[in-house]
Amino acid sequence: MNDTSHEVAQGSHHLGGVAPTALSAHNIVKRFPGVLANDNVDFDVRAGEVHTLLGENGAGKSTLAAILCGLYQPDSGYLLRNGKPMHLSSPRAGLQHGIAMVHQHFRLVDRFTVSENVILGSRDLGFRLNRKEINEQVAAVAESFGLPIDPNAVVGELSVGQRQRVEIVKALYQGAEILLLDEPTAVLVPAEVEKLFDNVHSMTKAGKSIVFISHKLGEVVEISDRVTVLRNGRVTGHVSGKGTTDTRELARLMVGRDIELNAQRATHPIGHEVLQIRNLSLSINEVEVLSDVSFNIHAGEMVGIAGVAGNGQRELADTIAGLISPASGSITISGAMTTDRGPIQAREVGLAYVPEDRLGMGLVPSMSILDNLLLTRDRKVIVDRTSIRPEASRLIDQFEIKANGPDHLARKLSGGNAQKVLLARELSGGRSATKLLVVCSPTRGLDVGAIETVRSLLNDARSAGQAILLISEDLDEVMSLADRILVLYRGAVVHETPGATASLSTVGAAMAGLLENGGV
Amino acid sequence: MRLPIRVVFDQRGEAPKRLTALVPIVSVLAALFFGAIFLLATGYSPIDTYTNMFSDGFASSRGVTDTLALSTVLICTGIAAAFAFQMNIYNIGGEGQLYLGMIGGAWAGITLGDHLPSLIMVPLVLIFGALAGALWIFVPAFVRSRLGTSEIVSTLLLTYVASSLIDYVIYTPDSFFRNPNTSFPQGRLVSASAKLQSFGDTRLYPTIFVAIILAVVLYWVVKRTEFGYRINVIADSPKAAHYAGINAKRTTMSVMLISGALAGLGGAMLIVGPYGKIEPSIVNLGYGYAGIVIAALARNNLAAIVVSGILFAGLRVGGEKLQISTDTPIHIGVMLQGAILLFALGGEAFRRYKIRVVLVRAVTT
Repeated sequence: MNDTSHEVAQGSHHLGGVAPTALSAHNIVKRFPGVLANDNVDFDVRAGEVHTLLGENGAGKSTLAAILCGLYQPDSGYLLRNGKPMHLSSPRAGLQHGIAMVHQHFRLVDRFTVSENVILGSRDLGFRLNRKEINEQVAAVAESFGLPIDPNAVVGELSVGQRQRVEIVKALYQGAEILLLDEPTAVLVPAEVEKLFDNVHSMTKAGKSIVFISHKLGEVVEISDRVTVLRNGRVTGHVSGKGTTDTRELARLMVGRDIELNAQRATHPIGHEVLQIRNLSLSINEVEVLSDVSFNIHAGEMVGIAGVAGNGQRELADTIAGLISPASGSITISGAMTTDRGPIQAREVGLAYVPEDRLGMGLVPSMSILDNLLLTRDRKVIVDRTSIRPEASRLIDQFEIKANGPDHLARKLSGGNAQKVLLARELSGGRSATKLLVVCSPTRGLDVGAIETVRSLLNDARSAGQAILLISEDLDEVMSLADRILVLYRGAVVHETPGATASLSTVGAAMAGLLENGGV
Repeated sequence: MRLPIRVVFDQRGEAPKRLTALVPIVSVLAALFFGAIFLLATGYSPIDTYTNMFSDGFASSRGVTDTLALSTVLICTGIAAAFAFQMNIYNIGGEGQLYLGMIGGAWAGITLGDHLPSLIMVPLVLIFGALAGALWIFVPAFVRSRLGTSEIVSTLLLTYVASSLIDYVIYTPDSFFRNPNTSFPQGRLVSASAKLQSFGDTRLYPTIFVAIILAVVLYWVVKRTEFGYRINVIADSPKAAHYAGINAKRTTMSVMLISGALAGLGGAMLIVGPYGKIEPSIVNLGYGYAGIVIAALARNNLAAIVVSGILFAGLRVGGEKLQISTDTPIHIGVMLQGAILLFALGGEAFRRYKIRVVLVRAVTT
């Protein structure tokens, strides 16, 4: 243990009569070009417990997990399985030791059935597959851990939560005793998270060990028996005892300073009308996506759109940004009609747009930060990179983007830094000074430190007099930031309320479609 | 029984620069080694064969000029392929566009009269060849950019049509393109002013400079211009292009038309250069298909195509001379061509993965 780490709660190794350590890692060092991802890290997990690795993106938790399952080999340090040394040269070697990882991005074949996916990669199956027997085995494994799933279902037709269950069943079928779950809740809706946690409990009851990787404080406190906090590749604290931990303390260990978990609405004057939307309707493939939407946003005002995913939010943003032509209605940005005129026209009158997909839509992954800054600007016939280079360096400093400079490739940025590059570009104006900023899920998938930065950037932009449309599925975010909240349900605005006096239950009811035409 | 060794593929984050340069060289060497097995098996000495090939292709002055002469058209078809490939558009119909370039160039060379000076006629022939190549890819480009129809299928199939078209314009008795003065079917000669002089007594024409300059200019266009920027955005993420207001349909259309025009230009260079007429045996030479291999060998780097094009031309020239001087079958050259493509593509695996062979040992406990 290094000198910066400390024990917050009572260290679990003081307790007597605990289950034996199933897997431990000692003095792990892993270096990537330019980064010390793991710096002398110790970690252990006992049979039947949930031990969480908590840390910001880039803290080194995924690297440690990859070492624990055999995907990476440490530069130095060693692993013990049931107290005996082992060398993992590959994930398959990890599996032979009963260690399996459930990746954040599933590795399933969409066209295969559940059981075909489960047996994929298994050896010793024989030439001819006995489907009936395999289906029964898969179903038996699934049911014994309370993970009911139809072995004959085609994976491509399953929900995200069910696919994750297939990944877990696959690991269990292959004989995993220790499961590493990499950010398992990132892709799940709240109801699915609850189910996952039930599954985790039934697995630990059966003596399996769970290494839970996350940066979401709330769920970490709920699920973990013990927590190890990583920051910049080092262990900064161990916390144990379910439910007894203080999220504020965990956040401090994770980020290295005190942070404000709830953003405060700044007081600020509201100016003239910047965005005006009148009777906007849109159909895609003959399905009505937006229906008669009208609202406006003023300078220095942030309007939040709340709603369950898929109720027209993304399409609303794309339409305002000029990417989709509406069936009817009008959009006016600072007095200029931009309906149906395309994204460049909208940008010329002051639009900036941070889409939900950062890499692949907002940013071009294979291009440098510099070239990505040029994406929404006027590039001239011969691209002038020399004159924008100083500005790129300045923005990297100003937005505290962790990068090797303007030539750093976008795909090598962490999620938080990619979002900062996007915000830097959109807030710094391109074809004209930014007057209207449309942001979609600006903090999704980011860690606590980055969330704080992004929210304060949005607040600063508002204070600077920009009009902001905040579209987010994170209701807390909308409630705590927006001056005015609109609820989208099936493409229509079903509720409007000032942010300061918004009630969670009314907004929640509107999101669920329980308020009919319930405007204020 | 399983061997106690295992091959491990570790994905590389970023391919090291030296490997990027090494892979094409090693693929050529591997192809030569592969060819050596066949030479040995059929009773030829690989060392003698390759020595002869090398000296015929690169080491004699005649060999060098012949190699450069052949590389002129191969660089054109190479950049035609690579220019589209780098945007993930697989125009594999360069062969057919090359035929059309010959037809278009010959038409201009025959029709536009004997009164124009060479300084105007030669560029006109080249332009008409390029236009004809672009015309041949127009329909595939249109349906690809509007409807997303696979350009692989459409450009390939049109090559067969183009091949029949060459036969048609040469073997039809009253064809405009057929030489009326010979009973044996031959192409009609273009006006003298549409022909270039070769350098000295070589078969090398000044068009080589056009090809090389084009490769370098296009390389610059992709790296430095707005058009190139758009190509790079679309190649990586079409959604980002849409987001930024880049018109992907128009860019796709432009890139495909340029690709077709470059292959067509290669055909027209054969008119102003060595042939001076439509040469029906072109359909057996596969210059257009060779462009695909050359592009792969250069990893679609437009400037590097100058090098891979010359290398490839040397192998072919060497292979052809070998058949004349010894009795080694010409097919060794064709086989090497295929083997190079195979190994160049296989070499990608080495660039993207760190490949190790490890001994599988019993798990230590």
